[in-house]
Amino acid sequence: MMDRIAALGRLGFNVVATVGRAGYFLGGALAGVPKPAVGFPLLVRQLYSVGVLSLAIVVVSGLFIGMVLGLQGYTILSDYGSEAAVGQMIALTLVRELGPVVTALLFAGRAGSALTAEIGLMKATEQLSSMEMMGVDPLRRVIAPRLWAGFIAMPILAVIFSVVGIWGGMLVSVDWLGVFEGAFWGNMQSSVSFVDDVLNGVVKTVVFGFVCTWIAVFQGYDCVPTSAGISSATTKTVVYSSLAVLGLDFVLTAVMFGDF
Amino acid sequence: MASEAYITLTDVVFSRSGRRIFDGVTLDIPRGKITAIMGPSGTGKTTLLRLIGGQLKPDSGTIMVAGENVPRLRRKALYTLREKMGMLFQSGALFTDLSAFENVAFPLRVHTSLPEDMIRDIVLMKLEAVGLRGARDLMPSELSGGMTRRVALARSIALDPELIMYDEPFAGQDPIAMGVLVKLIRDLNSSMGLTSVLVSHDVPESLSICHYACIIADGHIIGEGTPAELRQHPSERVQQFLQGQPDGPVPFNYPAPDAGSDWGLTGGAR
Repeated sequence: MMDRIAALGRLGFNVVATVGRAGYFLGGALAGVPKPAVGFPLLVRQLYSVGVLSLAIVVVSGLFIGMVLGLQGYTILSDYGSEAAVGQMIALTLVRELGPVVTALLFAGRAGSALTAEIGLMKATEQLSSMEMMGVDPLRRVIAPRLWAGFIAMPILAVIFSVVGIWGGMLVSVDWLGVFEGAFWGNMQSSVSFVDDVLNGVVKTVVFGFVCTWIAVFQGYDCVPTSAGISSATTKTVVYSSLAVLGLDFVLTAVMFGDF
Repeated sequence: MASEAYITLTDVVFSRSGRRIFDGVTLDIPRGKITAIMGPSGTGKTTLLRLIGGQLKPDSGTIMVAGENVPRLRRKALYTLREKMGMLFQSGALFTDLSAFENVAFPLRVHTSLPEDMIRDIVLMKLEAVGLRGARDLMPSELSGGMTRRVALARSIALDPELIMYDEPFAGQDPIAMGVLVKLIRDLNSSMGLTSVLVSHDVPESLSICHYACIIADGHIIGEGTPAELRQHPSERVQQFLQGQPDGPVPFNYPAPDAGSDWGLTGGAR
């Protein structure tokens, strides 16, 4: 019994220590603003790596999810003779929930795992140590551009996801199933609020982008520099990011849309 | 030791994961000389380099480098001091997304505002010094182990440091590459007047080029002096290490419970 309590205590200490290290790490990465001439090219390169290379999976996923929403929405709404409302259903679902959440999950799986593996390998091959010994802070040179790139790329990816999803939903419901196009767009326009829906969705994506990228770069930087350690860190990135996104989504939804 | 000390370690105590790595190590490393730090694997030789470079902090004791107490330095001062240091890592630690040229140019681009044509000239000079001017466009994945270390060496001297630390430079090298590295370390020391710290367990190569050497074991320095003095050192442990004897005061076997009990021959615990 005492052993179990002691193990629980150790686990608690480890969690607190990890959170402390992650906070210290974040402060170090965000503290120094590099000169624009140095920092901007690094940021652009990471935006390409984290954002542009994630576009394919985001666009394809957005398209199919929008098409499925169109199909499901039409099937359900036509039972009540309300198939004209399918446009607003698709838009609200994507803008409020699926856009931010699914993009964040895809982002964690594609870009987050790549970030962790890359930084972990840099650690294992002593590239981070060699940078330190050259008088270059890896937190500013390696971590900060990746952190900012994730933070910037994630909201843009989520917007693209939602736009492509809505277009996919239109393809199915208007072009295939014959919903009146004017009703599709008109109902969407009248029911989707820019501030309450679109901006709240964007706020979610900013939070998710920050959390997912922070988890990814920290796991890479803090990993045990062995093949098993990097593998474990990559897995943790995907699992922790997914759980954090789903948990935070509930909290943010409750705050933004809850009618208490 | 006649020369002035560039690095001074005084009563350095360092522990990791509950294990004491250094237990009151005191050492002077002379300016402008090659000092070899030798010892069996796992005795903390690389850790010593990381303490000197400020990547690790000791539990107690002082580490003075170029007149600065490294563990007490604030971040900015430490990074400034590191611009006077070069370090050759065991793996080379080249940036895998940059060519050999760009690896050597990296510290110049970060720490200087030199124009591009001057950076090019300096990089080619450094690559020429290690015999790899022709390999400037190769990526690290296209370099052999010996070439990787030579490019890393060129990178570590790019800013003309005062101190260079070599972490196991000869490990895993073929005889030709090893000969090349020995010559490079000696030539760089004499031509640039560097203070060189060489961590290695390759005894003949290290003693052939160093001016001063020390042997670390069990958290202490068990022998130090010139190569000639070390060869005559009275300590059995020093002689066992220098002559590569498999057994002696440093045991061959890792501490283990009684063999009889492990195989169940004495009726002990299984």
